[in-house]
Amino acid sequence: MTSIRQRLVPYGLLAPGLIWLILFFVVPMYYMGELSLKTGSLETGYQLTWAFDNYTEAISQYSTQFFRAFWYAAVASLLCLIIGYPLAYAIAFKAGRWKNLMLFAVVAPFFTTYLIRTIAWKTILDDSSPVVSVLEFLQLAPDGRVLATSGAVIAGLTYNFLPFMVLPLFASLERLDQRLLEAGKDLYASTAQTFWRITIPLTMPGIVAGILLTFIPAVGDYVNAEFLGGTNQSMIGNVIQSKYLVVRDYPEAAALSFTVMAAILIGLLIYIRLAGTQALMGDEEEAR
Amino acid sequence: MPHNMKRTRLLILAVLALAASMVLVACGGGGGINEGSDNEDVPTAPGGKATGSLNISNWTYYIDPKTINEFQKETGIKTTYNEDVNDNNSFFGKVQQQLANGDSGGRDIIIVTDWMAEKMYNLGYIQKLDHDELGQVFDTMIPSLRDPSFDPGRGYSVPWQSGMTGLVVRKDLAPDVKSINDLFDPKYKGKVTLLTELRDTVPLIMAADGIDPAEATTEDWLATIDKIKENVDNGQIRRFTGNDYLQDLAKGDVVAAIGWSGDAVQAQADNENIQYVQPEQGCSLWSDNMLIPVGAPNSPAAYEFMNYVYVPENQAQIAEYVNFVSPVKGVKEVLMKKDPKLAENQLIFPSDEFVENCFNQVSPPGDEAEQQEVEQAFEDVVRG
Repeated sequence: MTSIRQRLVPYGLLAPGLIWLILFFVVPMYYMGELSLKTGSLETGYQLTWAFDNYTEAISQYSTQFFRAFWYAAVASLLCLIIGYPLAYAIAFKAGRWKNLMLFAVVAPFFTTYLIRTIAWKTILDDSSPVVSVLEFLQLAPDGRVLATSGAVIAGLTYNFLPFMVLPLFASLERLDQRLLEAGKDLYASTAQTFWRITIPLTMPGIVAGILLTFIPAVGDYVNAEFLGGTNQSMIGNVIQSKYLVVRDYPEAAALSFTVMAAILIGLLIYIRLAGTQALMGDEEEAR
Repeated sequence: MPHNMKRTRLLILAVLALAASMVLVACGGGGGINEGSDNEDVPTAPGGKATGSLNISNWTYYIDPKTINEFQKETGIKTTYNEDVNDNNSFFGKVQQQLANGDSGGRDIIIVTDWMAEKMYNLGYIQKLDHDELGQVFDTMIPSLRDPSFDPGRGYSVPWQSGMTGLVVRKDLAPDVKSINDLFDPKYKGKVTLLTELRDTVPLIMAADGIDPAEATTEDWLATIDKIKENVDNGQIRRFTGNDYLQDLAKGDVVAAIGWSGDAVQAQADNENIQYVQPEQGCSLWSDNMLIPVGAPNSPAAYEFMNYVYVPENQAQIAEYVNFVSPVKGVKEVLMKKDPKLAENQLIFPSDEFVENCFNQVSPPGDEAEQQEVEQAFEDVVRG
């Protein structure tokens, strides 16, 4: 028989996190939800009128930026995966005594703020930089510039979110049981076959987690588009920021925020369905 | 642990969380943005003997740090000077909810541009000024700044610095840019930027098209915004900027921009090819103003500070550092002795001919809904 005290322990452990989330997530969400259905202005005040057309209006007017945000985030996540997987693989299996140093190098950019790193890219990509000259020579920079193009924004997103991809990939690659790979070889599987049929499935939790950690923040990001983008690269985050701070149309800004959240949530549910919960939770016993 | 017990526990937790948030919501309601606000019952900021501490919010690079130290030494008022105003709109977004509740967030003086000062005052966020406390200010304020249309007789605002919005160009890369219309010359495709501030960008382009900004209708504003949109779509305009157009100009990524006069003087120190050009059809004139927000903890100290910076010697130090147009009489004479070259600079002490065609910065006409329509149209171009 468990004592009452023992039964209360889990609640006690949960309390700090729970209270924090209620105060700073649930309550603001409630206010935002309410605000998104109001009409009015700062001068007249806001009345709850169940104005659902805040939503329809916001979606129809900003569908371009909306889809652009998802498109940029998807491309950036994919690039992160393509760049990050070999990197994580090398760190986990080939780095030897350099492993810790290389891991440190992956995390090192976090010692500088996100903003400074993004602004540094403006220097790297400025019109007269050698990088741009090379790209121009390769016919990859048609107008003689990289800044203020989609390419620059996606490159910035990829760079900024790469560590979030590499770390979970590394964590799951490192746990990979090498004996399974040896067993694969013993059964005459080629290197490519062992990779696709053993390594990839077993590191699926890392891939799934990595994509979530890059895609979700990338959709809502506005810093990269703000600094590296030009006139036609705004993402939905930029629109929401301007709705709040410049136009001061608070209800529509709240409606847009909710739409983005809902879209991400639905996308996430579909994604988890496809990828499987086990993969996400890292329940390797069941995955095997 | 049996599976269903786990589930029961989760359920209890969820219900608890929901209940707790309901309680919190119930307690927290009221105030904030739900009620409209106006300026019917704004108080007058009390004067008196200035002691204690003072808290100021200003824009970056807008004072000589020495001025603060000397003010503290002279008056014994402990001064906290924050550079937390980055642009009018974001600052408004940051402080609006507090001000609506009558709380200034500890600030005694905030500094914003004319139109934002008017907007804040109309919302009841700004206290009236007691002119008896501002002897020095009204002794030395430049006459042309005493009766602005947004605040006749300076009932609640005191100019901090003024400036001009016009062209900032690289004279080595775009020597023939003289008029705002030259920004649309295909020769400079992708090398031109405009400002994200509606009231800086649109009236200048309007004036270049021969429309008087002060008389412009909502249709004129929207038509000009359409013209900007065309030039965004065809790649003529590279992007919209805040202060960061200076870096683009310094690198040569941009050769001509709509920008602010004082910035150009400051940037010239680093790159002598950066130059302010007075547009042929005139510039837009504006001021940033010191305001005492509602709930300011120490208005006597705020008055003391306003008077202090209106003493010509003290103001000269600021003018020398920030290079904008000074609102104080007698500063030129002080600077003549210290730094004659600066005192001759048309951007700091503009002559009447230099600002002949210039107009006061204007907001879109009409009520709030009409203004918002214009703001929205412009924002949609800026965030295309």
